[in-house]
Amino acid sequence: MQVDIQHLKKGEVNLGTSIMAVQFDGGVVIGADSRTTMGSYIANRVTDKLTHIHDRIYCCRSGSAADTQAIADIVHYYSQMYNQQYGERPSVHSVATLFQRMCYGNKDQLSAGIIVAGWDSEVGPSVYNIPLGGGLFRQPWAIGGSGSTYVYGYCDATYRDGWGRDETVNFVKNTLALAMSRDGSSGGVIRMCVITKDGVERLFVPGNELPKFWEGKEVIGNVSKAEVLPDPMAIEV
Amino acid sequence: MANASAYRGTGFDFSNYARNSFLEKKGVPLPKATSTGTTIVGCIFKDGVVLGADTRATEGDIVADKNCEKIHYITENIRCCGAGTAADTEFTTAMISSNMELHSLSTGRIPRVVTAMTMLKQYLFRYQGHVGAALVLGGVDSTGSHLFTIAPHGSADKLPYVTMGSGSLAAMAVFESGWKPNMDRQEALNLVVAAVSAGIFNDLGSGSNVDTCVITKDHTEMLRNYRKPNERVQKENTYKFRRGTTAWTKEKIRELVVDETVVPLPHPVSAGGDAMDTS
Amino acid sequence: MTSIGTGYDLSASTYSPDGRIFQVEYANKAVENSGTAIGIRVGDGVVLGVEKLVQSKLLVPGANRRIQAIDRHIGMATAGLLADGRYLANRARDESLSYRDTYRSPPTLSAVADRLSLYVQAYTLYSSVRPFGASSILGAVDKTGPALLVVEPSGVFYGYKGAAIGKGQQLAKTELEKLKFDELTAREAVIEAARIIHVVHEDAAKDKDFELEISWICSESNFRHVQVPSDLLKEAEEKARAALEEFAPE
Repeated sequence: MQVDIQHLKKGEVNLGTSIMAVQFDGGVVIGADSRTTMGSYIANRVTDKLTHIHDRIYCCRSGSAADTQAIADIVHYYSQMYNQQYGERPSVHSVATLFQRMCYGNKDQLSAGIIVAGWDSEVGPSVYNIPLGGGLFRQPWAIGGSGSTYVYGYCDATYRDGWGRDETVNFVKNTLALAMSRDGSSGGVIRMCVITKDGVERLFVPGNELPKFWEGKEVIGNVSKAEVLPDPMAIEV
Repeated sequence: MANASAYRGTGFDFSNYARNSFLEKKGVPLPKATSTGTTIVGCIFKDGVVLGADTRATEGDIVADKNCEKIHYITENIRCCGAGTAADTEFTTAMISSNMELHSLSTGRIPRVVTAMTMLKQYLFRYQGHVGAALVLGGVDSTGSHLFTIAPHGSADKLPYVTMGSGSLAAMAVFESGWKPNMDRQEALNLVVAAVSAGIFNDLGSGSNVDTCVITKDHTEMLRNYRKPNERVQKENTYKFRRGTTAWTKEKIRELVVDETVVPLPHPVSAGGDAMDTS
Repeated sequence: MTSIGTGYDLSASTYSPDGRIFQVEYANKAVENSGTAIGIRVGDGVVLGVEKLVQSKLLVPGANRRIQAIDRHIGMATAGLLADGRYLANRARDESLSYRDTYRSPPTLSAVADRLSLYVQAYTLYSSVRPFGASSILGAVDKTGPALLVVEPSGVFYGYKGAAIGKGQQLAKTELEKLKFDELTAREAVIEAARIIHVVHEDAAKDKDFELEISWICSESNFRHVQVPSDLLKEAEEKARAALEEFAPE
């Protein structure tokens, strides 16, 4: 069976997206752009695609906004039930399994690419990737969404084992900035979370403070003009 | 049709399917649902939420209603603007309103905006976009002021200012240039009017008047037809025909009111007095 | 039991006037008539032991096992009606599997016991069924460490360091209480289990034949529930018989 990646229902809200999660020694860093589109219209430019599932488990959503929100809501509920029934937090693995069951079991109806990441007492930090068909893969780092195709090479070339928190945050920030600059359906601001044993720390990079890379130079003439900085487009809710 | 059964089964009837698709191929369009090609907006301010909507309802390119209501009651402290298929927005909001009332009766609390949002998104998700309701939901509860959009497929966004419907682009342009945090009531109201007006004047699907609704912690004010920028003005000329313009050949006047006199019959006399007449 | 014979013991769905359910108490009697089963939880593992009374010399040794595997890391020893014990084990396997299906990870023992006990309890509610005539000792080493639980016919379950059910449970418990669970190794616990089973057999059913069944879950078994190696079982039985010579219960 083939799953059509591009297929979305007519008029559906799309998370044409760049999302990412990376594991490091003491935790995980997850990140996402903030663009939600309906066709060519940006329905939300400050979207939060980093969705709380449990105390130390988050997911990054890509694909249909309706589908991924519905799945995340259900898994959030299951995770709370797990906590009540077994008297302990669910492991990242268990939560990822719940996501995978929903994604695989309803694969014909859904377009959802989800990365689950977090910290648990059994294995520490971990990252699970659940791509469109409903597979489940544990990875040291994972990228997803339409913007990810532009930065696989960058990630392969850059990622190293044994990074600390700050290096990992920088890696995520740079990767997402690169993806957002090339992918038309990604953009806006960068939202990140650092999840460790001790808690979840939220990081925010406004649209005018994204890391800059080579952006070309004037080819014709050498007109010197003062650099015009764009207005801040990010608004914290 | 001599053999046709008198029995009519339940369920869908597809007997006209072939005919309809033939007609469609021949260029006869399907009847259209009334759609509120619409501008609806919402905006958070210092003390609460302002919602706004235009009042035009369309069927295809015909204006079906020049002054319809698109701000629906959910609970006293929550209201919802609807765009999309008029019937769907009407019935979806009415049903959620009913369930919210029951919910608040059973919990004994003032219901929360997230509750309405969750009920709406789960309902719309269940119908996979076939219930064509695009909503702007706003209200104030114990946790503060909240504003959401809910798309027909069941996705929800939480933002400080939102627009929906065919006029959403025009309205959003106004918000993006004029919105600032912590506005007071009148500033917010003015901005919402400006946003809806942008839809009314620049979007074909929107028109007529501006409805607004201001929700604060302990008061909700529904401002129906807060602005009427499209009122019909006095015609410059009168086009009435002068009396006697048309010639006639014959005149006949009939009495249209008929006078009648009702004569009651005399009471029948029978042998048994009060006994029933069984003859 | 003053109320016996007044009809309150006919159905599990009827209380006696003093608030008892006789059918459940009778189920406990069925457990008390059976060969003893014990469990020992030590620092590095869990040992299960059963005194399996052999009804006939014609039976094949090792048949009709009373220690059963529930999952790779969970074992279960039952006392009471053998068939009920097997049925409960089957149910426990289903529950364990359903947990694995949902969460793709091995269940904790308490998760399985929790579900199993709900099932057992349901059989104490209706007039159309009888409560299970079996108690089960569940043993496992899961992510929380070694665990030992006993599910009773009423549906309650308790956690233990040492557990005993069946005919010799009183004496077995007395013997278990003498053990230093925190200092014992799994290997030593096997020796103790064999000794206790022999002691209670000698005390209660000396004239009957029996087979000793012992299984364990520990590092030596790679944290799998397996029968103890035959050389260890042999050593344990020899030591048990030797100890029996010196042992004289008061």
